[in-house]
Amino acid sequence: MMNQGGEPGAGINPNSSEVNYVGQAHAPSNPYLTSAGPQLWPPPQPPPPQPAPNSWSYRPENSNTHNGFPSNYYYEMQRGASNQTHTQTGPSTTPNMPAQGYNSTPYSTSYQSSTMDYSTGFYGNSYGNSSSLQVAPNQNTGASYQPPFQNSVGHTSSSSTSTTTMSNSNTYYNASGDHQNTASTTPSYQSSGNYYQQASQNYAYPSSNPSYQHQYIQPYYYYNQTAGGPSVGTDATSSVPSGAGHGGSYMGHGGAAGGYSSHPTNQPPPPGTTSWRPDAATPALPPLQGIGATGYQTQYPGQFQAYPPQQPVNSAPALDSLFASNNANQGNILYSQPPNMHVSSTNQFQQASEIPQLPPPPPPPYTVQMPDMRQVQGGSHLHPNMVQMPDTHQVSKIQIPTNPRIAPGLATGAVKVDRGSISTGGLAKPAYVSVSVSKSDTKLASTAEDADKGAFPVSLKAYVERSFARCKTDVQRNANQNQLKEVITKATTEGTLFSKNWDLEPLFPLPSGDSTNTNNRLDSTVFSSLNKEKRKSRWEPIEETPEKKVEPVSNTTNSGPSNTRYNRPEATPKIDGRNWNTMIFVKKKQSNFNNSGRGRFKKQKTNVFIRKPTENTDSSSDSDKERELTKYYSSAISLANSPEEKKKREHRSKRFDKRKMESASPNNSSSIVTRKANAMLLAKSYDDNNGPDRAVEDIDWDSLTVKGTCQEIEKRYLRLTSAPDPSTVRPEDVLEKALEMVQTSSKNYLYKCDQLKSIRQDLTVQRIENELTVKVYETHARLAIQFGDIYEYNQCQSQLKRLYAEGIKGCDNEFSAYHLLHVCLHSNNKRDLLSSMAGLSIQSKQDDAVKHALKVRSAVSSGNYLLFFRLYKVAPNLNTCLMDLYAEKMRFEVVDQCVKHTGPDHQ
Amino acid sequence: MAAFLSLAESQRRIAGYLNRFADAIARQDGATLRPLLAVSSAASLLPLADALSNFSDSSRLVSQSDHIAQFAEILLPLLRSIQSHHLGRFAEAYSSYEKAANAFLQEFRNWETPWAMETVQTIALEIRLLAEKGDRELASSGKSPEKLKGAGSFLMKVFGALAGKGPKRVGALYITCQLFKIYFKLGTVHLCRSVIRSIETARIFDFEEFPVKDKVTYMYYTGRLEVFNENFLAADQKLTYSLARSDPLNMSNMRMILKYLIPVKLSIGILPKMSLLKKYNLMEYSGVIDALKTGDVRLLRQALQEHEEQFLRSGVYLVLEKLELVVYQRLVKKIYIIQKQKDPDKAHQIKLDTIIKALKWLGIDMDYDEGECIVTMLIYKNLVKGYFAHKSKVCVLSKSDPFPKLSGKPVMAS
Repeated sequence: MMNQGGEPGAGINPNSSEVNYVGQAHAPSNPYLTSAGPQLWPPPQPPPPQPAPNSWSYRPENSNTHNGFPSNYYYEMQRGASNQTHTQTGPSTTPNMPAQGYNSTPYSTSYQSSTMDYSTGFYGNSYGNSSSLQVAPNQNTGASYQPPFQNSVGHTSSSSTSTTTMSNSNTYYNASGDHQNTASTTPSYQSSGNYYQQASQNYAYPSSNPSYQHQYIQPYYYYNQTAGGPSVGTDATSSVPSGAGHGGSYMGHGGAAGGYSSHPTNQPPPPGTTSWRPDAATPALPPLQGIGATGYQTQYPGQFQAYPPQQPVNSAPALDSLFASNNANQGNILYSQPPNMHVSSTNQFQQASEIPQLPPPPPPPYTVQMPDMRQVQGGSHLHPNMVQMPDTHQVSKIQIPTNPRIAPGLATGAVKVDRGSISTGGLAKPAYVSVSVSKSDTKLASTAEDADKGAFPVSLKAYVERSFARCKTDVQRNANQNQLKEVITKATTEGTLFSKNWDLEPLFPLPSGDSTNTNNRLDSTVFSSLNKEKRKSRWEPIEETPEKKVEPVSNTTNSGPSNTRYNRPEATPKIDGRNWNTMIFVKKKQSNFNNSGRGRFKKQKTNVFIRKPTENTDSSSDSDKERELTKYYSSAISLANSPEEKKKREHRSKRFDKRKMESASPNNSSSIVTRKANAMLLAKSYDDNNGPDRAVEDIDWDSLTVKGTCQEIEKRYLRLTSAPDPSTVRPEDVLEKALEMVQTSSKNYLYKCDQLKSIRQDLTVQRIENELTVKVYETHARLAIQFGDIYEYNQCQSQLKRLYAEGIKGCDNEFSAYHLLHVCLHSNNKRDLLSSMAGLSIQSKQDDAVKHALKVRSAVSSGNYLLFFRLYKVAPNLNTCLMDLYAEKMRFEVVDQCVKHTGPDHQ
Repeated sequence: MAAFLSLAESQRRIAGYLNRFADAIARQDGATLRPLLAVSSAASLLPLADALSNFSDSSRLVSQSDHIAQFAEILLPLLRSIQSHHLGRFAEAYSSYEKAANAFLQEFRNWETPWAMETVQTIALEIRLLAEKGDRELASSGKSPEKLKGAGSFLMKVFGALAGKGPKRVGALYITCQLFKIYFKLGTVHLCRSVIRSIETARIFDFEEFPVKDKVTYMYYTGRLEVFNENFLAADQKLTYSLARSDPLNMSNMRMILKYLIPVKLSIGILPKMSLLKKYNLMEYSGVIDALKTGDVRLLRQALQEHEEQFLRSGVYLVLEKLELVVYQRLVKKIYIIQKQKDPDKAHQIKLDTIIKALKWLGIDMDYDEGECIVTMLIYKNLVKGYFAHKSKVCVLSKSDPFPKLSGKPVMAS
């Protein structure tokens, strides 16, 4: 990061902020970033141009937040949500910008910077690239923007604010290694320059984590600016919802131009709405975000598209108006308005409201301490930049002097740049990232356009297939078909058919005819629940996030699914890390900062959730379902809110990310990855929440199935504590060899047991259930019997029983004999014995081994020790071994009997 | 319905049903309410079901007036359930019915008097029957039958609502019995334990307070559980209690109880009259009883083999199998009696050779070692008093009471 940052920083040097970016270590991106960063930061301080140093220097500014600068926003919660909010802020800022004259450009710049940060944080190298991309946009659009930034307080007001956020985010990245998550997202963004361009949504993606943070930051910046800028405040507010904010910004981007340009455009009315929606999406996203940044990004784009329509309704209008008012009032008004906004995107709104409070202090940039989101703000402008989100850790306190100048144009320019940078981002280290990035870039760019052409997106087809795959009955199938029709029609009318990430799109519940709306309902419920309860954790959004992610993926899929996959895994872990950092930061910051700021964030988070629902809310009609959903979500939320739960989830998601990063191969189709990620998230969230209603049905277990790539025959058994890593899982043919190896091995049982367990594990993980599976279990059961390892035998036996019942061929007679012997000799459970005896077919009763076992049983039950030992001598197969275990006991009983029965001459 | 049902008529029927429902609750009229919820058994609901398939907007009717709408959470799923059941979609009917039942239970908790106890019991019965039908439907379509399990957990909820102090607790045993039926059907008998514990240890329940029919059912199931555990004395006591309070004219109930009581009685040395077996059509036990009377081991084995599947299913196979030793005892006793007639002095010494020969006549080939094993086991289990002289292969019987009778005590456990 540092290195990259340094390079970029050099490029970007003009703006002190660049330094921050540099810190991120994106050489290419750095310039951009630096430009953005410099804009932001330079104004306030001539930050050291060097990336790392700069970023750090920024940090000082940011550190305000981090270090305790006045304007730190707490993103604690935000991590997940905050990211989203950041994005939202981005959008919101943009809207404000237009109204205020903040020009989307600032936003764009900020976004860029944020992306930079993210990229740096996540990918390190790739980040650098991504950042460069972002930077590029910034520079492009942002040449002008930068000036604004510069003009604007150190953060460069609106644009500057965004930039500042960017810088902050950069600093954050630098500061927090954790940022990587965000960084990963950023790279994807960058790589998917298309994404960015296509839709600010991309921004949202990164934002999901980072972007949100950025947004937050932005808001702060804005606030500061608004201080100079109510608009900033509004941005902040919008950002506050973070999740939502990001989404919003993304949305805006997507909605407006579908690209960076959209950011600016979005910023105006549409953007705001769009942005809000994104936010909503983002809230849900947070968890998902953690999973895969790129995936998220892509998803976001999709989401954005989808969201724009809905979101506009909720957040957008309000936001716009707010922003507008903010612009007019510059912050003060905005702040007040934000609350309104909150309705749609509560979090953001809250933040906004808080922001108003903050605005007073605006001068000192509100350093949004986005634990998670380094600097969301930048993200808001440059949703792509949003990548910065990761930076949130750094919690840039973006002193955003009002930079009203930030013009939408900047954003667009930034976008373009981003594309270029994206490619660089792709270059960034992890194949995952790079792959996804590059694909996404080209694909994204093309996808959006292609979408218009009218062919159904591949992802949509996959979505349809998935939905049908769930149908077990004709009734379901029909219902499913109808629902699908509704969904697709709706998407078509809304124009989201191609923009939606169908891969991420959650399947509607099967049984109900309302399937189409289910998502909406869920969303709405989420919203309501969110509104009711402030989410403490970003986790809550997770459920939704997957969906959002999915959408982006679809878009990306055209271009490059792989990106999404990679990103997801990476992103999640990163997020976790961020979250933690952010949490800490937040706490500190909160304590330091105004209470209002905190409150905002929380609210914003809730808003985020709400937003997601917005898409479908209108359609949802089933009161029952809604109620259920609300219950479900509220319970989930409450669960998610507990700190322990958060931690756990973070850990879990981190694991996933790591693994995926490691294992994910570039070749894998992104859609698969995303689906996996989604499924995992879903599964996780369901697990966590005990989600009663739709839990199991909605988990796409097929997508969770791992396909192994490991070619080593020997493998030690290690109990999995997290999702399996395909690179350590052996495919079937290798497992066959492994089994053979074990069978012919001359090593002891313990070694074989270990090997067999690992084979069993690999089989289970890959859901292979065929004759090989039976063979493995049989082999293990035999070995266990021979060794007297009843515990392992029991495990194998129960599996074998199930496998045989499924009709897989094997030595079932032999094993039913073992089972009989085991039950009557060892477990002595009368009912088990009865049922296993009753379960014997006539054919198996003819089997020698079974006959023998039955005789043994009757000998034991009648106490005929003589018969027992005679049978012991002639036992087929391994019956002897099982009887062996009982023989001692039998002997002892015989002695007991003999003592009692024998005559006086024997006594 | 052959005749076409006019829309107005359908609407009238549904409205009538809804009004009856609401009125019954308003008047706390359990007798009227009960049949309204008997989805699967009440023929009176048939016209309603026809009306429902004819008139789709029943939810509007429900929400029309307030006194009905307050029970919308019960009525809407209930109507759906009635309709689904009528159309033969039992799994759906179950799901809807469970929703309705949950809502009803919620109401029931708030009613202080147990006036709706009968209704709750009807619900418990209906939900079990629907679940069974639903499971059959699911199983035939290749899906995992899980409705009965769901019914079990719902009934546990009902049990929880009744098991507190207060007038409602007398209904708890009925629910318990429904739970038993479900658990026995599912084979998850171990789940019975918690319910039994709360019935038998909770002081709020005075067992004799419960209705007789529930007590009989309860004792029957707990008796069966004791048979599984081969706890014959307790099983005998419970099943006898159940038998004594059953209606002797209810042949099927009597038969069900006797099916378990007879093996239990056999295990403690009490043989039934053949007329009893004939009366209740339990002739599968006749071979076993004959074997016990004559000491014919072969007959016992044949009887067991012949009805193996039946005995395994009912769970008495192992109990009957254990009777083999008693049959051996009978055989040795017969030899002893014959010897006594021939030579009273040496009657208490039974050569192993004689026993082996007797078994050979029964078609059972046994060598000396095995014969010795049997004899020692008889001695060990206190079915024969005496000792076995290993060297001379002679079983020396005690002079007093060499063949103690079980007389109400089971064979000593090994």
